[in-house]
Amino acid sequence: MSADDRPAARAPWLWAALYLAGSAIVVTLKLTDAIGAWTGLILFVLTMGLLIPMVRSSERACHPNPAIKRYNRRVLGASFGYVLGLGIAISLFKNVALPAPAVFAIALLPTLPTFVMIWAMARYLAEETDEYLRYRSVQAALAGLGIMLVIGIFWGFLETFELVPHVPAWWVLPVWAIGLGIAQLWIWARDR
Amino acid sequence: MNNRLRVLRAEHGWSQQDLADRLGVSRQSVNAIEKGRYDPSLPLAFSIADVFGLPIEAIFLRNGDPE
Repeated sequence: MSADDRPAARAPWLWAALYLAGSAIVVTLKLTDAIGAWTGLILFVLTMGLLIPMVRSSERACHPNPAIKRYNRRVLGASFGYVLGLGIAISLFKNVALPAPAVFAIALLPTLPTFVMIWAMARYLAEETDEYLRYRSVQAALAGLGIMLVIGIFWGFLETFELVPHVPAWWVLPVWAIGLGIAQLWIWARDR
Repeated sequence: MNNRLRVLRAEHGWSQQDLADRLGVSRQSVNAIEKGRYDPSLPLAFSIADVFGLPIEAIFLRNGDPE
């Protein structure tokens, strides 16, 4: 029996719900100081392990082509790297007096995995052989970019006029990813 | 661009997935082309014509052309 023939043990949404619930519990424990920074990081990474069965059950249900499977694996790996890198970088920055070159180096820990995510998107567009799926992905990526620019520009001027607090520039990626997700959801609903 | 894909597919008794498998594309691609939301590239249009054994102009029509 191949991996694709096996019955889906649980639906993807169930794994996603477990992941969200697990993350919420870890964040709550951390915010209430019930656990320390390192314990929180380890628990958060372990909770992220739930994303692996979520992606696998989603692939069993949707039968994506090889390009999409490769993209999923690359982004999943980069996400693990991002959380680990971010956790380690913040912990080191808060607890150890580091010289500027070392701070530059630890800033790269969460940065490099995000470059892998951007590379994964570029590779997907190059490897996708289905022209309509590629067109759909480009549409969604452009929609995400548009949303990111609109929010970024508006927020920037609100910040200039001292109406809102400063937001670090790395927020561009999560905002773009959320825009991408919304656009993909809209296209998915339209295509049904 | 209008097309006769849905009619031709029905004449052959094929589902969207059947036609997608013959073309080596996703079912979503066939669905989008049929509904006129996506105009295929020339290579894919030729593949579609080959699958039905028809010239391209017998499948894809200019806007305003009678179906």
